[in-house]
Amino acid sequence: MPSCDHCNQPAIYHDVRIVNGVHNTTHLCVEHAYEAGVDVGPVDFASLLRPEESSSAPKSTVTACPDCGMTIAQYKKTSLLGCPACYVTFQDNLINIIAKVQDKHTQHVGRSPSQTNVDADRHIQIRRLLRKLESAVNQEQYEDAAALRDELRELHNSSEQHED
Amino acid sequence: MKIDLKRNCPFNSDNVPNGDVVLSSRARLARNLEGFPFVNRATASDCAEVASLLQKISNTKDKRSALEWVNMDELDTVTTELFVERHLISSNLSNATHPRAIAVGPELSRSVMVNEEDHIRIQSIRPGLQLHEVHADVHQLDMEVEEIISYAFDSQLGFLTACPTNVGTGARFSAMLHLPGLRIIKDLQRIHNACNDMSLAIRGFRGEGSGTIADLFQVSNQVTLGSTEEELCNLLANDFLPPVLEWERKARRVIAEKQRSKLEDQTFRSLGLLQNARLLTSEEAMKCLGNIRLGVCLNVIDNITLPQINQLMIELHPAHLRYTFGKDLPDDEVNRCRATLIRNIVDS
Repeated sequence: MPSCDHCNQPAIYHDVRIVNGVHNTTHLCVEHAYEAGVDVGPVDFASLLRPEESSSAPKSTVTACPDCGMTIAQYKKTSLLGCPACYVTFQDNLINIIAKVQDKHTQHVGRSPSQTNVDADRHIQIRRLLRKLESAVNQEQYEDAAALRDELRELHNSSEQHED
Repeated sequence: MKIDLKRNCPFNSDNVPNGDVVLSSRARLARNLEGFPFVNRATASDCAEVASLLQKISNTKDKRSALEWVNMDELDTVTTELFVERHLISSNLSNATHPRAIAVGPELSRSVMVNEEDHIRIQSIRPGLQLHEVHADVHQLDMEVEEIISYAFDSQLGFLTACPTNVGTGARFSAMLHLPGLRIIKDLQRIHNACNDMSLAIRGFRGEGSGTIADLFQVSNQVTLGSTEEELCNLLANDFLPPVLEWERKARRVIAEKQRSKLEDQTFRSLGLLQNARLLTSEEAMKCLGNIRLGVCLNVIDNITLPQINQLMIELHPAHLRYTFGKDLPDDEVNRCRATLIRNIVDS
């Protein structure tokens, strides 16, 4: 796995750009990726946390949510999480906090959403992909844009099959 | 949007259940959309997208009960503040600058706040002890919202919210109580103990971190995880409130019997002040109305009714006064208009 261009941490963001025939490659670790403001997408943070895979890396490097970039330090400041995925990312820290504020309860027993809203899910997914596609085109990341376009096509086809 | 305060005030109705002690019942559900960051982490375009997805909730089949959709940026300052005074929206929603909206029922008792701390805050408020009714209101809206979007939900933690204190059911039930009897006989500690034992929170009239005014207290469930919505509603409506209502009524009977002169003095002094004052602050007016409320409940006076007092307790706030007396009413005229409004009612 290539290292980050700015430090020795494992890189989780890789970007290749060809401008006027010149290749520019960028490799960034989590912290530098968020610092640079790039969309790193879902990352397997659990693998980064495992000591055998990153024995030289201090544990504190993995503190950001892969979906929204929220860190546990930011959470402690505001008491607000950044997105639904934060509950998974910070589950080890959160479970004690939840037990404390919820009178030792850690299991939901109330109602669940009555059914998965397939149409709404697909609608949200399409809108999110369109936004990512727009951003990729704006940043001239054409390889990413092509992959997103294929993903959109696939989603659109499955939507038509669903309607049939 | 056009608001008729007389028609849209649910607090001026007669025969409110347990209205002698319970001013209002409220339920709210916190929900978020799957696939979007929570509001504190969302961009303006995320918020706009969430709002555009939720706007469909105003298109229900039954037009009479349909919610009216209002983008907060299009709402004038006075109406925004009026909604805050009615507890239809929070100060947070009113003061924020990101895209946000409210869908509000024509009776101004049901509302859906969009992009507050969570993407969705469904709530209903009714006069008196009507916790099961407000629960039914929010549950129905919850089902309607669920038809158009997907909620962020986890099988272990339930409905996922920005703050872990709301996770699980996302449900908060609350009742606004008038407890002058227990305050006078110095037995409020009993309420605090009961709240502690049942994991309920008790606050003064003005909400979180505020002091008490006019012996008004708001009691709500603290825990949202590990119980169903029905169980949380029952905890307040069936377990906590019946003994509290009995304690307060018993205290009032003791006062009427053993401290009659003091009670009459307090009631008529407050009435006299409201009948004669030409400038009234909201604190002074609330305190007097609270005293008169106790006098009305104990048959000391009968020339004003509980619904009239309840309505005044809402309409004496600045935005309501501006709605009645003119939206450009300067700050230094508010106290004069408040005194006029109240005098017109208590004199008649």
